[in-house]
Amino acid sequence: MSETTIAPSPVEIKAPERKWAGQSVPRKEDKRLTQGEGVFVDDVKRHGMGYVHFVRSPYAHAHITSIDVSKAEEISGVYGTMTGEEVAALTDPFFQLSTPPGAHLKDYALAVGKVRYLGEPVVAVVAETRELARDASELVEVEYEPLAAVVDARKAQDEGAAVLHEDSGTNLMWEGVYEWGDLDAAFAEADKIVKIEELHFHRFNSTPLECDGALVEFNPGTGQWTIHTNNQFPGFAQIMMGPAMRTGLDKLRFVTQDIGGGFGNKITSHPQLVVCCLLARKLKRPVQWTEWRTDFHLSMSHGNERWFRDTEVAVKNDGTLLGFRTKALDDAGAWLRYEPLGGVIWAQVTPGVYKWRHIRLDFTQVATNKAPCSPNRGYSRMQHLWFTERVIDIVAHELGLDPIEVRKRNYIKAEDMPYETPNGCVYDSGDYAAMLDLATDLIGWDTIEARREDAAARGKLLGAGIGSTLDSGTNNFGQSRMINPELQFSGNNEVATVKLDIFGEIVVTLGTTPQGQGHETTASQVVADILGCSVDDVHVRAGHDSYWNSHAGFSGTYASQFAVTGLGAVKGATDMLAEQIKRLGSVILGGVPEDALELAEGTVRIKDNPEAALPFMACGAIINANNAGLPEDLDVTLNCRYVYRPPFQVPDLERKFGNLTLTYAAQIHAAVVEIDPETGHYEVVDYAAVDDCGVRIHPQIVEGQVMGATAQALGAAMHESFEYDEDGNLLTPNFYDYHVPHALDMPPLQTGSIESASPFTPLGTKGMGEGGGAGIHAVCAAVQDALRGHGDAIVHDSWNPYQRVWEMLEHPERTRELVQVVDA
Amino acid sequence: MGAVASSQTVTVTVNGVEYEREVEARKLLIHFVRDDLDLTGSHIGCDTGNCGACSLIVNGQLLKSCMLLAVQADGATIETVEGLAEDGELAALQQSFSDHHALQCGYCTPGMLMSATALLRANPSPSDDEIKKALQGNICRCTGYWNIFEAVKAASA
Amino acid sequence: MLPREVEYAKPASVAEALTILAGSDGARALAGGQTLINVMKARAASPDVLVDLNGLDDLKGIELGADGTLTIGAMATYTDVVGSAEARARPILGEVCSQIADVQVRNRGTIGGNVCSNDPTNHLPPLMAAIGARFTIASQSGERTVAASEFFLGVYLTAAGPGELLTKITIPAGKHDGFAAVTLGADGTCIANAAASLNGSLRVALGCVDAVPIVVQPSSSDEASVREAVRGVGLAPPADVHASSEYRAHLAEVLAVRAARQAAERI
Repeated sequence: MSETTIAPSPVEIKAPERKWAGQSVPRKEDKRLTQGEGVFVDDVKRHGMGYVHFVRSPYAHAHITSIDVSKAEEISGVYGTMTGEEVAALTDPFFQLSTPPGAHLKDYALAVGKVRYLGEPVVAVVAETRELARDASELVEVEYEPLAAVVDARKAQDEGAAVLHEDSGTNLMWEGVYEWGDLDAAFAEADKIVKIEELHFHRFNSTPLECDGALVEFNPGTGQWTIHTNNQFPGFAQIMMGPAMRTGLDKLRFVTQDIGGGFGNKITSHPQLVVCCLLARKLKRPVQWTEWRTDFHLSMSHGNERWFRDTEVAVKNDGTLLGFRTKALDDAGAWLRYEPLGGVIWAQVTPGVYKWRHIRLDFTQVATNKAPCSPNRGYSRMQHLWFTERVIDIVAHELGLDPIEVRKRNYIKAEDMPYETPNGCVYDSGDYAAMLDLATDLIGWDTIEARREDAAARGKLLGAGIGSTLDSGTNNFGQSRMINPELQFSGNNEVATVKLDIFGEIVVTLGTTPQGQGHETTASQVVADILGCSVDDVHVRAGHDSYWNSHAGFSGTYASQFAVTGLGAVKGATDMLAEQIKRLGSVILGGVPEDALELAEGTVRIKDNPEAALPFMACGAIINANNAGLPEDLDVTLNCRYVYRPPFQVPDLERKFGNLTLTYAAQIHAAVVEIDPETGHYEVVDYAAVDDCGVRIHPQIVEGQVMGATAQALGAAMHESFEYDEDGNLLTPNFYDYHVPHALDMPPLQTGSIESASPFTPLGTKGMGEGGGAGIHAVCAAVQDALRGHGDAIVHDSWNPYQRVWEMLEHPERTRELVQVVDA
Repeated sequence: MGAVASSQTVTVTVNGVEYEREVEARKLLIHFVRDDLDLTGSHIGCDTGNCGACSLIVNGQLLKSCMLLAVQADGATIETVEGLAEDGELAALQQSFSDHHALQCGYCTPGMLMSATALLRANPSPSDDEIKKALQGNICRCTGYWNIFEAVKAASA
Repeated sequence: MLPREVEYAKPASVAEALTILAGSDGARALAGGQTLINVMKARAASPDVLVDLNGLDDLKGIELGADGTLTIGAMATYTDVVGSAEARARPILGEVCSQIADVQVRNRGTIGGNVCSNDPTNHLPPLMAAIGARFTIASQSGERTVAASEFFLGVYLTAAGPGELLTKITIPAGKHDGFAAVTLGADGTCIANAAASLNGSLRVALGCVDAVPIVVQPSSSDEASVREAVRGVGLAPPADVHASSEYRAHLAEVLAVRAARQAAERI
C-alpha cells in the first residue's frame, strides 16, 4: 500500500457570514454584454493599424523550397510581410516542456523550412484593410515539395513512416509508464479478466464562437509591447514568448477585456502573438489579427486524441473492480505547444470515481501531421475519465450486471473522503452515490423500461446510460516534473488586489481572464460579504491587464480553478483590507480595540455603539489625501495585493506519487437516447445533470457552466470531430461540416446539485466549469444500452455519428470482437 | 441603366441614425457596420453563414449580415443590438437574458437578441418549439441554449 | 474569408439584368446570396460582376392558377413560400422550405437560388424533380421552359447558363407528396434525402447520391417495390465525412420508402 501523501491540511474556514455568496445576484457583466458594449479584441482599433492575414500551408507535410513575397509587397496599401526565415533570425525556438525526443523540436512562430500540418502559418501579410491583406496573400508565392503524411497515430512509429521533426529523429514525442498498487496480485485475485482491445477518444474541441485575435502595439522608446488579445492564459504566453523574443517578460503587456469563450482553446496562440509583435516592431505600426473560423479549425488547439489499447480489467464476479492496465497512445499533432503535459494531467483522476487500487498505464505520445493539440475543456482528464466509464459500462454489459449497481459498488464513498488515490491525489470531498440517486431520480430511471417499450412500438430503440466524471481543479504544476524532471514549475497561484479609493470606492483587480464565467460578479460577492457592504458598492475591473500588476506566473482562466485560486486571492486581499480598515478605524475612533469593531453598511463601526462609525469614504480620504497626524507605525495603505498559493508539495517523481490537484468537483449525468434502427439516426430525448462543486458562490453561474459543458459534450459525442483524410486534409474545417449543437438539437434538461464543501479551500468552494465530459460518457452508455439485445455492439469510440450507430447495428460483430471475457 | 461599379456610396439608417459612406462592392454588411460605422456590438463567428453572430434586422427582416453586401443595403433601415435599449434602459428581452443567465461570454448575445426581437415582433406569444425554431440560426457555445429559451419565453406576452 | 474585388449592379428590370449578364462571361446573378456570398468569401469562385436580382419584383410572386398550377417566381424566398396561402395548394413546398437551415437564411434564400446552385445536398432539386416542376429560363433571345430532367445537369450546373436567368418554376396541381431526409442535426445539411410524388403514378427522386437528382418510378408505393426500384439504379453515391458510399446508398433506399409512404398516406 502506498505511503500517504502529505494531504493538504483542512482549512479552518473563517468564512464571512454569507449574505451575498450563495445568491444568484444579477451579473455585473450583463449590462454591457446585452447592449453590445463588450470589448472583444476585434472591437479594439488603433489609428494606422495594419491587418494581418496568414498564408498557410496547403499541405499536411512538405518542404518549403522557396518563398517570394515581392509581388505582395508591391501592392499599394500593403505594409509588409514576415516569413519563417525572419522569425528564425529574430527569435529563438519556443521552450519545449518535453524531455528528448520531444525536447529537440524547434518550434518557431512561423514555419521554418518545412510545413507539418495543413493550415500551418507560413507567411504573414499586413495591409491597410482586411480585404487587401487577403488579396495580397494570394500574391505570395510559396513553393513546396510535398512529403508523405502521417495521419494515424497508431502508424506514427512504424518503420518507414514519415518523420515530422528531423531534430528528434522520431515521431515519438514522450512516453512514460505509470504503475501503482500490485497488478499481479489484483489479477490473481480477480474472478474474470475483461479484455478490451481498443477504445478511442476522438479529436475535437470547444470551438468558442470568437476566434483568437490580437492587436499589438510596440513602443520603440521603451521597448514595450502592448498585446490586446483574448489569450486566456497570459502567464503561460509570457513564459513562452519572452525568452523566444529575447525580451523581458514585463515588456509583454497583456490586455484583455471580454473574451468570447475560451474553454482552453485560447491558451496556445503565442506563436501568432509573436508574429504580431515582430511585425508591430518592424512596420512601426499597430498590427491587428483576427483568426478566421476556418483557420481556427485547421490549426488551433485540437483536443487530445487518445487510444486506449490492450486494456485488461481485473474483476470479481460481483462486479467489484480491482484494477486495470492499459496502453494509452496520444496524438499530439504536429507541434508540442502545451504537450506533453497531457501525459501526466490525466493522473489527477487516475481511478476516476472508482475504488480500484491497482493500475498501470503506459503513456505514449506521438506527433502527426495534424493541427497541434493543446488544452480543450476537460483537458486530458476527460479522455481518461471517458475510458474509466467505458470500462465500467462494458464490464457491466459483459457480466450482465446492472450498470447502476456496479457503479455504486465501485464508487468511492462519501465516508472515505478525503480519499487518497493510488497515486497520491487527494479527492477532497464528494458523494457520488447520492449524486447518482439524484440523477436517476431526475431522469425517471424506473420508467425506462416502459419508455423502451413505447419507443419499440414506434420502431425505435431506446437506451439509457450514466456518465460519471470529475472536474479536478487547481493544478499543482509540479506534476510537470513527472514529464520532465528538469522543469522548474510547481504549485500554483493567483493574485487579486482590493483597494479603497479616496472617495470610498472599492476597486477589485483580478489576475484572471474570464471568458463568461462571471468573475466580476462572484468576486464582488466575496468582497461584499467580508466588507459588509453591497455588491453594488464593489467595482471589479473588467478583464486582465499586466500593467495592473495583479498577476503572477500562473495567472489566467483555465483548468477549473477560479472559485479556489481567483476567489481565494480575492478573499485574501479583502481580508487584508478589512483588517487594515479596522486598524485605521481603531485609531480614528479613539483607540478602540480592533475586535470591538465590525464592518457593516459601508462603514467600520463599534459593535456595541454602531453610531460610532467611520464610512469607507472617510477611510479612503484619510489614507490617500489627509494623512497628517497618523501614528508613524500605522501600516495601512488600503491597497492590498494578495497572492493565493494552494498548499502543494513537489510530487515524488520516482513513484509518480503526490497530490496533483487541490479540488475535485464531480458531475453525474443520465442520458436517454432513441435510435432509428433503419438509419442509425438518433436523438437524445431526455437528460439529467447533477453536479457537486462544493460551496457555490453563485448557483446560477454554476448551473450555467454545467449546462454549457453538457451541450458541448452532446455535440462532441454525436457530431463534432476533426476528421482528416489520409493526406492530412481536414474534412471539417468550418461550422457547415463540423456540426455543433443548435437550438433544435437540445433535449429537455433537468439539473440537480449537492454541495460537498472542500475542506482545503478558503471558501469551501471547488473549481468547476470544464465538466469532465460527462455528456460524452452518458451518451456512449445510452447508445450501448439501446443496442443491448440488438447485436450487443460495444461502443468503443467517443464519437458516434449516425453512420457508426448504423454500423454497430449492421455489424455488431466488428465491435464485439474488441472485447473478451476470460476466467482469471 | 443601373451602374456597374466596384464601389459606390451607400446610405443607411442604423438605429435611427443616418450614415453615408463610400464602400467597395465586395464589403460585407457586417464589416461595414463594425469597421466603417464603428458599431462593434454585432459579431463575426464563422466563415460560412452558420453561426448567426452577425444577425441584424434590415428593413424589418432578420438576416445574417455576413451574407449581404453593404451595397445591397443601400437605402435600408437597419437595427442592431445597440438600438435595443432606450436611454440606457434595457429592453425587456435584454433584462430577461440577464435575469435568466442566458448569456455567459456575451459573444453570441447580440445576434441572439436580434433573432429573439424579430420573433417576438412577429409572434408575441411563441411556443417552446417556435422559440427554438426562431433561434436555430444562432450558435451559442457557452449556455447550451436552455436559459436562452427561458429568457425569451419570460419576455414574451 | 473575404471576397475578391467585384463589380455590382442592381438592375430595375429583368431585361436590364439579362443585358448585364450577357455582357460579361464573369457576370453572375445574385439571388439570396446564402450560397454565393459564402462561395465568394472562400474564393472558390469569384464573379467579375454581381447582378443583384433583389429589385426585380416581377420574379417574386407566387400565383395559383384556376387549374391548381402553382407559379413560383425564382426570387420567392423560402419564407415567402412558407407563408404563402397560394403555396399551400401544394403543402410539401412549405413543409420542406421550413426545414431549410434557419429563419435568417429562409428570409433571404430563394427557390431559384436553391435549384440553380444545384448542390447535391440541397432539398429542392429532388423535390422539384419528383413533383414534375418545369423551369422557365429567360435570355436576351427569348424564353424556354424545361423539365427537371433537362434542368439539372451536373454538380452546381443547370440549364440556366451564362447570360440566362431562371425566372419562374411552374408546378402542376397535386397533393400526394412526401419528403424524407437524414440531416446533420435538426434542420441541418442533408446527408441523404428523397422526395416522392404520387399523382397517378409514383415518382421518387433521390438527392445527395449523384450530381443530379435520380428519379425512379416504382410500380407501387409499397416498400418492396420502392426498394426494388432504387436498387435497380445501382447507386454509387459519393463518400464524404458524413457518410460512406455504402451508408448513403442504404439511406437513399430507406428514405425513398418513407417518402413514398408519406405521399401515399397524405390525404
